[in-house]
Amino acid sequence: MSKAAGTTQAWPICSRVLAGLLGGYVFTYALTAALAQLLPLDRVDALLIASLLSFTVYTLAILWAFAARSAWRAWAVVPAAAPLALIGFWPHLLERLA
Amino acid sequence: MKQTLTQSMAWLHTWGGLLFGWLLFAIFLTGSLAVFDQEIDHWMQPEIQQTSVSNAQAVEHAVAYLQRQHADASAWNISLPSERMPALRVTAGDRRSGISTYLDPLTGEPLVVRDTAGGTFFFRFHYSLSMPRNPGIWIVGLAAMAMLVALISGIIIHKKFFKEFFTFRPNKGQRSWLDAHNASAVLLLPFHLMITYTGLLIFALIYMPAALDSLYKGDFAAFYREHIDVMEEPHQAPTHPAPLTALAPLLAQAEARMGPLSGVVIEHPGRSDAHIEMRRVLGNRIALTKGHNMVFDGVTGELLAGPPELRPSVLAQRVMFGLHFAQFGGYPMRWLYFVCGLLSSAMIATGLVLFTVKRRRKYASESPLGQQLYRLVESLNVATIAGLVVACIGLLWLNRLLPVELAQRAGWEVRGFFALWLLSVLHAWLRPRLQAWREQLSLAAVLCLGLPLLSVFSDGQAWGDSMRLWLEVTVVALGLLLAWSVWRLHQPQVQHSERRVRHAQAQVN
Repeated sequence: MSKAAGTTQAWPICSRVLAGLLGGYVFTYALTAALAQLLPLDRVDALLIASLLSFTVYTLAILWAFAARSAWRAWAVVPAAAPLALIGFWPHLLERLA
Repeated sequence: MKQTLTQSMAWLHTWGGLLFGWLLFAIFLTGSLAVFDQEIDHWMQPEIQQTSVSNAQAVEHAVAYLQRQHADASAWNISLPSERMPALRVTAGDRRSGISTYLDPLTGEPLVVRDTAGGTFFFRFHYSLSMPRNPGIWIVGLAAMAMLVALISGIIIHKKFFKEFFTFRPNKGQRSWLDAHNASAVLLLPFHLMITYTGLLIFALIYMPAALDSLYKGDFAAFYREHIDVMEEPHQAPTHPAPLTALAPLLAQAEARMGPLSGVVIEHPGRSDAHIEMRRVLGNRIALTKGHNMVFDGVTGELLAGPPELRPSVLAQRVMFGLHFAQFGGYPMRWLYFVCGLLSSAMIATGLVLFTVKRRRKYASESPLGQQLYRLVESLNVATIAGLVVACIGLLWLNRLLPVELAQRAGWEVRGFFALWLLSVLHAWLRPRLQAWREQLSLAAVLCLGLPLLSVFSDGQAWGDSMRLWLEVTVVALGLLLAWSVWRLHQPQVQHSERRVRHAQAQVN
């Protein structure tokens, strides 16, 4: 396995590390915001529950980046974050537009 | 990287575990020590004696002293003596930045106590690496995420999960290291997961402020006001001097409602708008109840706000904090956390050693750069595992060896700690691998075993009181464990020769 870490593999690995750490964080951030908006609870409760779950999501997102079949699929979390961010920050967006 | 899931998870576990393993070992070891932070604090302040006085008596002495010395302070803080920390400490002004004085709880006279980093140092290192707060907690948070990822990927690559629960093959070199790593990981898996996850939750809103940004536009103060009933600050009415109410009845009332108390805060003492806050000991229940106290009017003694009722979601969050801080359940629980924490540290350490043991045979065929990198890994292993133990026990030695009147003494203790650790890195790099392990572990063992002697020579008495006795007995026991590990390092050769002798005898017969 240490052979796989040789120079020819350096770029795919860097890409996956970045996909996991940064892409995963962006995805988790968006999902947590969306969850906080969608949970049918008082906002205090929704905030706490969404935040408590966020580290599970982040862990899974990091694992996904390394388990994905291709280095490109590892980045799938980023496009997935866009609609979630829209849900999470919908009220802010409306306010901006109004 | 066309690999199976197991292979890619193994890669992640190996390299992620290696890169963050050193940091994680340091975080877990200092965290285990921080379980006994106040006990270590007490050992490091030999001027303070164990006494038994009632809270009412201690508060009376404290208030008398504060009235005499700091009548015009904006606030008085009184930390009451407890089972874990027999010191009576008063602070004039803010609790963190005010002027603190230790008092003799029996007489109320000020005590001269040495300035020390204390066991609190291990606590601070545990969550911020003793760095400036924000960068520190972000790095520790990143390491905690790495731990979580290593745990889950470790479970995935483990095919015979429950079988290995009971597998241990001692004296088999690499296989023993693997078994030790697996056994300690699997056996304590619930603890590893719990302690890592709850650790992340403590700063959850700093690490992941998404929900706060979404629902409160990032305004933490707005969330804080809403999530718990905080007493409204009264209007700034004109104030006039007014005597402080008697504290003993309020203490009794607060103790009856909340259990043991840790301290009393008096805001605006001697004025008509005085407030008295009775703070409870954190360990009265699992949920961490920091800040959830009773507030009384300082002049009339009327109860202004009780301990707030927590809504279920907040209670759930506080229980998770409490599970991490381990303030509940008294000493049995504290020992359980200490032992589990040490086993977690051992699990991380065996993983780090396993990395090098597994690859040692291949070193020779690597390029010169590769060989140097493996050597670096080997020496960092020695320095983080054995070197950190030397630095930790070294901190206790520095506490007694540095002159008491040294300016900024606590700072010098901390500098000494890091200097020892740095020296161990240098030593590990310069010495051959086995010698480096042997010498650093021996030094740690000697420092541990010698601790009672140190306190005899520096304090004129061993085991000043039962708490210091317990600490020294524990350190000596850990010293024996270290000595055993040094002895084990000599073992393989011995066994080899024994086997050869037996083999020879068999041939003769």
